[in-house]
Amino acid sequence: MLNAERKPVTGKRVQLMATCLCDAFYDDVARATVEVLEHAGCTIDFPEGQTCCGQPALNGGDWAAARKVVRHTVRTFAGEDPVILPSGSCAAMLFHGAPLAFEHEPDLAAVEALGRRTWELLDFLVNGLGLTSWPGRYDARIALHRACHARGTGSLPAALTLLRSIRGVEVVEFGELEQCCGFGGTFSVAFPHISQAMGDLKLEHIRAARPDLLASVDMSCLMHLSGRAAHEGQPIKIRHVAQILRDALASA
Amino acid sequence: MSSDRDTILAGVRAALAPLAARAPLPDWDRDLVRVRTLQPAADPWARFAARLTAVNGTPLTAVADLVALLEKNQWRRGYCDPALWPQFQGAFPAHFTVETAFDRTRVDDYDFGLTAAAGAIAETGTLILTDRGTSSRLAALAPWVHIAVLRREQIYADISAALAALPDDPNVIWVTGPSKTADVEGILIEGVHGPGVQVALLQ
Amino acid sequence: MAQQLIDQFAARLPADRRAAVYQSTKTTHEKRTAMLFDQFAEPHRLRALAGGIKQHVLENLDTLLPAVEAKLQANGAQVHWAATAEAACAAVLRIMQARGATKLVKAKTMVSEEIALEHFLAAHGIEALETDLGEFIVQLDHDRPSHIVRPIIHKNRREIAQSFERHGLGAYDDDPQTITRRARQFLRQKYLQADVGLTGANFVSVESGRLVLVTNEGNSRFSLAAPKCHIALVGIEKLVPRDRDLGLLLNLLARSATAQQLTVYTEFITGPKAATQPDGPEELHVIFVDNGRTDVLASECRAILRCIRCGACMNVCPVYRQASGHAYRSVYPGPVGAVLSPLLAGKKFPELADLPKASSLCGACHEVCPVDIPIPDLLLRLRDQGKRAGAPLAAAGTPPMGAWALLASQPAAWKAALLGGKIINYLPTKLLPVPPLRAWEKSRTLPEWRGGEFRRWLRHRTTP
Repeated sequence: MLNAERKPVTGKRVQLMATCLCDAFYDDVARATVEVLEHAGCTIDFPEGQTCCGQPALNGGDWAAARKVVRHTVRTFAGEDPVILPSGSCAAMLFHGAPLAFEHEPDLAAVEALGRRTWELLDFLVNGLGLTSWPGRYDARIALHRACHARGTGSLPAALTLLRSIRGVEVVEFGELEQCCGFGGTFSVAFPHISQAMGDLKLEHIRAARPDLLASVDMSCLMHLSGRAAHEGQPIKIRHVAQILRDALASA
Repeated sequence: MSSDRDTILAGVRAALAPLAARAPLPDWDRDLVRVRTLQPAADPWARFAARLTAVNGTPLTAVADLVALLEKNQWRRGYCDPALWPQFQGAFPAHFTVETAFDRTRVDDYDFGLTAAAGAIAETGTLILTDRGTSSRLAALAPWVHIAVLRREQIYADISAALAALPDDPNVIWVTGPSKTADVEGILIEGVHGPGVQVALLQ
Repeated sequence: MAQQLIDQFAARLPADRRAAVYQSTKTTHEKRTAMLFDQFAEPHRLRALAGGIKQHVLENLDTLLPAVEAKLQANGAQVHWAATAEAACAAVLRIMQARGATKLVKAKTMVSEEIALEHFLAAHGIEALETDLGEFIVQLDHDRPSHIVRPIIHKNRREIAQSFERHGLGAYDDDPQTITRRARQFLRQKYLQADVGLTGANFVSVESGRLVLVTNEGNSRFSLAAPKCHIALVGIEKLVPRDRDLGLLLNLLARSATAQQLTVYTEFITGPKAATQPDGPEELHVIFVDNGRTDVLASECRAILRCIRCGACMNVCPVYRQASGHAYRSVYPGPVGAVLSPLLAGKKFPELADLPKASSLCGACHEVCPVDIPIPDLLLRLRDQGKRAGAPLAAAGTPPMGAWALLASQPAAWKAALLGGKIINYLPTKLLPVPPLRAWEKSRTLPEWRGGEFRRWLRHRTTP
């Protein structure tokens, strides 16, 4: 596991990091995250000073810039409570990428400490809080994209566990699950040809399974795939898993 | 050359000097690499034969079957290990030409080579040849058909068992089926440089 | 935004070539995965163990190298050391000249590609003929391998048949069976005429001094059956501690490389041929080659030296599948090459500093690596190195992050930007001074900007 060393969850107070994509584009995903966590009995603290996890700079190779943002995030999410993110990618930045960039920095310990209490939402619900099922009904054939940064973590199995427990949900299989959607942050603009080809292949596999919607634990993949699909005039419906859980509650 | 040796070893030492600790050598249980899909087989030959067949090799239990195979394909010129020839001679029809010395100037004159195996691996269908036990490296390689003669008690269960018993020999080769390639468009072709037909003959 | 070199290469790649690479890598990857997970209960644990064994080797090379040298010498091998590519080439030449040898057959060795041995020997009047079918075809065409296990993954049968015809290997016939038979006939004479068989080594056991060679075609075996001298070019990282560790590594290598349980020919060599054996080398020379490896060992990317050259990372890599191996402009392509090639380049690092950028960091390479190399982490380290070195090739296409980092560490400015960003809903992006947005919109639509909406909702809602 990428995030093997984790601080055990003892209480139900959590800090929410909305992530920059939800802050800028996908507000309903952040709302759904709040509602899902509250349904699970959590009390949510949203530090207003939060910005971004710093991943664009880390991946872009500018580690000095990345450290600047990570330091801000460490300060903003002070305390001992779990930090929950509706993104496997941003969570992995905090528990894996950031410590890598701080290996030779004096404040490595603080960065690692934040990493140990950082959770992707679904991973937290199932492996942190111990949920094994989710109430309600949601009638849809769902294609669950395997977001790359959920590799080597508990997020994907957790998402599947909860989705499959919802009445009416059918998770459909599609080809080449292990393949990336082609987003990769700045990769998508520095490698436009390859990125687009990767996205198109992914869309082809997904469409062949004829799902009602495409879901993920990461909005970045969904932004890329839906953006590509819309550009080609064949829009697809996307949902973060948190939105599905929240909507299922309406009929619980 | 010694200066290159010194340069390299000094470079290695300098590279490793800053490490606070060296990675320990992990121990591991060889059961971890036992193929779980294979059911335990009472007869090691049966397991071996099935696995050899799976890699397009040819397990045979009777000399008559070997001769029939060679005859059917008109593979009538061959080489036989001189130590094995006395026991096989009687089984080969008179119109076969079998030599007991391999002439490297005429490699294409041999349709088959018959040599002794030093062992086998059941789990993988592998034949084990050694320098001291196999009378000619070339005779076991250059002809289209290679026949390795094997005894039941020489069969190891799996790779780990065979590694634990690697013979004291300057050259040990494990042969798992016919020579093959998929270099051209991923299409499997057998008999690239070595045998196109690999036979294991149980003695 | 500037387009990275590898992306430009991919965009120019003929569609049929891309399709061939994609199909072939995908098939191998899928067979590999099915086989590993069907046959073993804990493939990921095996990968971690194998990685641990190789990491142990790397971190103990200071004692293991002299130990294996002593073992090899006791077994009757002659051991040579080559700090550089030039020294390695010179060592081969010296051994050949001492024997009056002029003809060499070569079984697939990546190190010989790395040190450009063929070119060097040709300049000294020595023919060095490739014997692996794919490498042979590459050599005929003065081409370069594009995959470390499948050198001609980029070629189709028609190109090969044309090449054979040009080189007098028979009239045009593109049947793969015919192609293979013709190479068989041609090459076996070459083996028999050769003075020296040159190989690499997949592993060298410190415990026994056994060199381990694996091939499917039998070309290394033929190179060690006909010629009277064997030279093995061995990277200093190729050691394994014990014979029994080969049980893990051989099982993983064959499955990872070609979805085979075991490679067809697995050869264990401790020295010159046995006295009773009529065929095979009377001399065994082992050349340990550094050529930049100690620098890699000294770097924080040393884990890349665990690599056992299976090619699984390139088979699964979406970038390799789209771009093909030649896009990487180096001997080692794909994810492993994107780490290893710039590192081995030494002072020429900036010339290959874009390679580590050629990844969406999806992690598929790490997930399949039989020695558990955290390739994405190493790519990240090299991106940092490229940035610090100010390498223009690495920078191409990456927006400057300094201003963004400033914004992202000042909450008030961040909130203002969230609100101000709404402008993209009203203005065409081509009017905005934000190159990444424009680049994005060339092939994708942007979602509606809803900056600040979540925070507003959170502030104004009635808390349950």
